[in-house]
Amino acid sequence: MNNEKLLEVAISAAVRAGACLMESYLQVIPVTRKESSRDVATPVDQTAEREVFALLRAYDDDISILSEEHGFQGRDNGRGHWVVDALDGTVNYLHQVPFFSVSVAYVFEGVTQVGVVYAPLVDDIYYGARGIGAFKNQRSIASPDSSPRDSLFAATFSGKNYEPHQRQEEFALFSAVNDQSRGCLRTGSAALNLAYLAEGRFNGCWGKANKAWDISAGLLLAELAGADVLVVERDAQRHLLHYLAAPTQNFEWLKGQLTSLFSVDGLAGSGMRKVES
Amino acid sequence: MKKSKLLIYGAGAIGRGYIPWVYAPDSYDYYYVESNSALRESLNKRKRFTSFMTTEDDYRALQVPVAECFAPGAEADVLADVVAVITCVGPRNFPLLEPVFRNIRVPVICCENDANLPEQMRRNTGNPNIVFAIPDVITSSTARDDLLLQDPLAVITEAGTFFADEHAAAIVGNCAYVNREELAKQWAAKLYIHNTPHCIAAYLGNILGVRYLHEAMQHPLADSIVEGAMLEMERMLQSDLEIDHAFLQFYSNKELARFRNHLLCDPIARVAREPFRKLAHNDRLIGAAQRCLANGIVPKFLMTGIMAAFCFESSDDPDFHIKYLLRSLCPEDFLRTIIRLRESEALYNLLLKHWDANLATIAELKNEQ
Repeated sequence: MNNEKLLEVAISAAVRAGACLMESYLQVIPVTRKESSRDVATPVDQTAEREVFALLRAYDDDISILSEEHGFQGRDNGRGHWVVDALDGTVNYLHQVPFFSVSVAYVFEGVTQVGVVYAPLVDDIYYGARGIGAFKNQRSIASPDSSPRDSLFAATFSGKNYEPHQRQEEFALFSAVNDQSRGCLRTGSAALNLAYLAEGRFNGCWGKANKAWDISAGLLLAELAGADVLVVERDAQRHLLHYLAAPTQNFEWLKGQLTSLFSVDGLAGSGMRKVES
Repeated sequence: MKKSKLLIYGAGAIGRGYIPWVYAPDSYDYYYVESNSALRESLNKRKRFTSFMTTEDDYRALQVPVAECFAPGAEADVLADVVAVITCVGPRNFPLLEPVFRNIRVPVICCENDANLPEQMRRNTGNPNIVFAIPDVITSSTARDDLLLQDPLAVITEAGTFFADEHAAAIVGNCAYVNREELAKQWAAKLYIHNTPHCIAAYLGNILGVRYLHEAMQHPLADSIVEGAMLEMERMLQSDLEIDHAFLQFYSNKELARFRNHLLCDPIARVAREPFRKLAHNDRLIGAAQRCLANGIVPKFLMTGIMAAFCFESSDDPDFHIKYLLRSLCPEDFLRTIIRLRESEALYNLLLKHWDANLATIAELKNEQ
């Protein structure tokens, strides 16, 4: 399949999952705790994910999928794989905070080709593909640059207490960015943060130890909209990534603020891999 | 006789093809601002172009000398010296001119195919000299191959009337300066009896795979859809604005003759451009359909035209991505998420009800390719 067809499939899948989410929104939903009280799953996540899988497989039975609820499924057939988070922002969804999304991406040879982030509550589809561009609903989108002082940022930390002793450092970084700008938000949906960055609502996003399915689609959208993107692979087996995405001026500024996460020196001997767009 | 300077933003179809027939090159020196660098360079190199006006069976030619064509932002010096500014840059680009219009005192005549834009610009800039105008013509952004051989910058227009707000009447030209009430009536007719069927003809032409509008109108099914939509617009305007029926009929006949005029060579790509803009809630397709329904008219032909716009495919168009959305979303999701119609709306339900039938009509046209 070419990127045009993949994009169409990804849009269909994301919107299908979004419809599942909306069917159960505002209802009482049982919750299963995973790695922490902030890392939870619901039957809705799973149903939405099944819907996405069914749709993707209807187009091609021989596909591989990396997803939040099922990890990696399929085989390495040399044709790339889908990356799916059927509900990014589960805690928000449960608490009826209207900031959650569906994220669907397609990765070929380590490079994301197609990305869709769908916010079902407001019916906004952010979508893009290499060679095609980035869009929101009807229009193409771009991420304009601005000075840090005039910028609004968004950050996402892992909710899994992956390195609890580093929590203080995380909040120190957060404070530094927050206090020198119009603010740094922790919204609970990395995918939607990045879509907002692609559209120019946010002016930079960064995250520590995020899962690949949370950010693959959003990072592509940000890149296609003109943002610079830096990804550091923190733990390949657990699909954990640090990331930074912003238009050039803010990218350089954020990189300076977040040296402990993104400096080349900091990576030395850590086993981490760095990918810069 | 010393000529006055005229600055025109946009050297496209109207700016190059029609404005020189209104404000004669004998009386005005023509300065342009144009973002298309190839066109700009060509105008500066050749220093003139030809605008052809259709007659009954041939063309009249007008040679237009070009004093200079500037890149956007390079026109500041001449701006201080002009007697009027005319804009023909398109509704999406027009708001970008706001900083320019804050401090100029001469009339700014806007030919932007959107009556709200001059008012918004007046409000945003505090400049009361910004007025609306309606070039009641079809102007092609290109010309027939044999005319392009004579002059590669040639464009084709037709005889018509330039209706402009009387507040700009100090600028002498071959035009009808009218009060805002008359301008509103002309605009209603232009928006619905011209613009709506005109773009429908273009979307049908896109499906038929033809290059020019008159070629689309040669297809009986396409012609009947366009004429049907035009009649729906007539009925709507008569009911909604109580516009005189004789005027509406005169207007419709004039427009149909224009659409069918083989001398105009009106490109489908130009008229069909940016379908999402035309599908906006206050514009010529969805807006017109809503207005029909509000007046108790079910716009059957217009809905076929709307489906043709949904099916538009052109890789060169800014809205080329409409094809991905139509293919990937079910009709309900497409109408709700992309067209932003609510499930409770009559138009949403009517479009759904006629979805398959309209798609079958589109398929029938596609088979004619």
